[in-house]
Amino acid sequence: MTIDSTTDFSPLVREGGVHSAVYTDDTVFAAELERIFYRDWVYLAHESEIPEPGDYCTKWIGNQKVIVVRDSDGEVHGFFNRCRHRGTALCNLESGNAKFFQCPYHGWSYNTRGKLVGVPYPSRYGADFKKNELGLAPLPRFDAYRGFIFASLSGEAPELLAHLGRTTEYIDLFLSGSPTEQIELSAGVSKSLFRGNWKFVGMDGYHVNFVHKTVLDLEEQRFRGDDYVRGMRNSDKSPNESWDLGGGHSRLNLSLTDRVEIGRVSTTAVAGEIPDTDGGRSYFQAMIDRWGTREKAQEVINLSRDVHLHIWPNLQLIGSQVRVIRPLSAGMTEVIGYPAMLAGVPPEINEKRLRAYEWFNGVAGFGGPDDTEIFERNQIGLECDNEPWLVLTRGMSDAQSGVGGTVVGNVTDEVPQRAQLRRWLEDMQPAGTR
Amino acid sequence: MAGLVIALSGRRVSISNDQRSLRERVSEFIAHEADLADARAYDEWLKLWSPDAEYWVPCNLDDYDPRQHVSIIYDDYQRLKERCFRLSSEGAHAQEPPSRLCRVMGHVDVAVDEGSRQITAKTKMVLVEVRSGAKNIYGARCEYRLEETKDAFAMLSKKVILVENDEPLGNLTFIL
Repeated sequence: MTIDSTTDFSPLVREGGVHSAVYTDDTVFAAELERIFYRDWVYLAHESEIPEPGDYCTKWIGNQKVIVVRDSDGEVHGFFNRCRHRGTALCNLESGNAKFFQCPYHGWSYNTRGKLVGVPYPSRYGADFKKNELGLAPLPRFDAYRGFIFASLSGEAPELLAHLGRTTEYIDLFLSGSPTEQIELSAGVSKSLFRGNWKFVGMDGYHVNFVHKTVLDLEEQRFRGDDYVRGMRNSDKSPNESWDLGGGHSRLNLSLTDRVEIGRVSTTAVAGEIPDTDGGRSYFQAMIDRWGTREKAQEVINLSRDVHLHIWPNLQLIGSQVRVIRPLSAGMTEVIGYPAMLAGVPPEINEKRLRAYEWFNGVAGFGGPDDTEIFERNQIGLECDNEPWLVLTRGMSDAQSGVGGTVVGNVTDEVPQRAQLRRWLEDMQPAGTR
Repeated sequence: MAGLVIALSGRRVSISNDQRSLRERVSEFIAHEADLADARAYDEWLKLWSPDAEYWVPCNLDDYDPRQHVSIIYDDYQRLKERCFRLSSEGAHAQEPPSRLCRVMGHVDVAVDEGSRQITAKTKMVLVEVRSGAKNIYGARCEYRLEETKDAFAMLSKKVILVENDEPLGNLTFIL
């Protein structure tokens, strides 16, 4: 199948259903790169990854490696990672600090604002050789919201705030666990790879009691004697919710069954506890000082640590994790997770966040690897295309409309899946019909 | 343990005769621990640990403060128990079917800290893991801190420094 700008993928999506080719087909994947990753706003990095002038990091937009750099005046830029001479990738490392980017091939040098400042032995270039037109190619659109840096390769993308839409409320919540509303991605990064499609990494509340059975076993041990009803939180009886936020964004609201108390672990298993120590109590007091009352502080901590948000297409904020989804092929995906440390808190708060993060996430965690195992089994099963339609009707008949065009269902409903597929289909329309 | 020289400076000391037999005993212990891990004998493997256990598989870097930087594994004894419990129960999909494992531990180098009487053992590991049609080979430097017990040794800490701890990894839910 040749794909071009007229290829129409809409036969692959129905109301409440999707054809498995969407997950397995190489031509679909190639079109996703063109129509989603090279067009939409894509999350790149957090400002805390490049705190000092000269700091840079390299990231990916589809197959294109890009540089995010803070210049000597402190301003942040995004460039394609390619020497303008003969195309060598300039930045070889994931991160570093530089005053200049010098190409190892012929020594061309660029400053941190992307300007070409050095060309060895220039006498062999004629008068028509214009250095000032050969700076690093900037990413066409480059913007940030509260430290989260995004880029788009399309000059026609809407403003970033328009793209983010209703997700900004939850980005704000994610930050508000810090009394100064700042996070730092200063604690390293867990990188994993699974043999499955990138679109499986979604917001799903239905799977918890089955995929994470052993997590529930361990929680049952931990909460023994408490008001704990195994699995209720992730069932049709749960007050928790799944949301379509519009624009392909989605979330789970798991805060309705959680409680914030000093010395008590979060029920989502992915968020850190507030230890019953001087540091824990002083953090809690700092939040009371910031928000006015104990009840408000508890509410803010609950909502901030129970954020489960998907920002289309490649960013998720889950508990204390900033998660980036990097598609490599129809059947191969990288998941890159950054523990988000809170600014302005005693060190033991962040230490607890790290321990909780490791408990669930990462390639040896008690939760995440069972998810990716299931994704790999999905990829195998979906090759059987005799009955190709996935059933995504859960909660379809009675999901409620929320504020401003959002849709809210029970936490086990497939509201997030339908939200993503709707945006997928919009993005994948042939050129000229979007 | 007869024959240890206590140095006044606090440095580790080496004495050839006693250290050779210590090295043999430590090597046997490390090989035994490897066998239990390969055999997925979680209960037996857990018994090798001291209650002061620290099981550490660093992430991205080989060394840092694990209170401030994420790790692939950073277990205390409680978490080790949870890990073994999880792997022994049904429903840990990432180990159903379980990994088949075969590791070799070599280059065993032993030293004794005379102040704490703790034994430090450094070794290199090559581990082959096969699961669901994929074969993975992992290389690591492993560092153990051991204390003498009545019968043999107990692990105070085990640090597994994977050569690829800064690469995207697959499924590391088996015992490294």
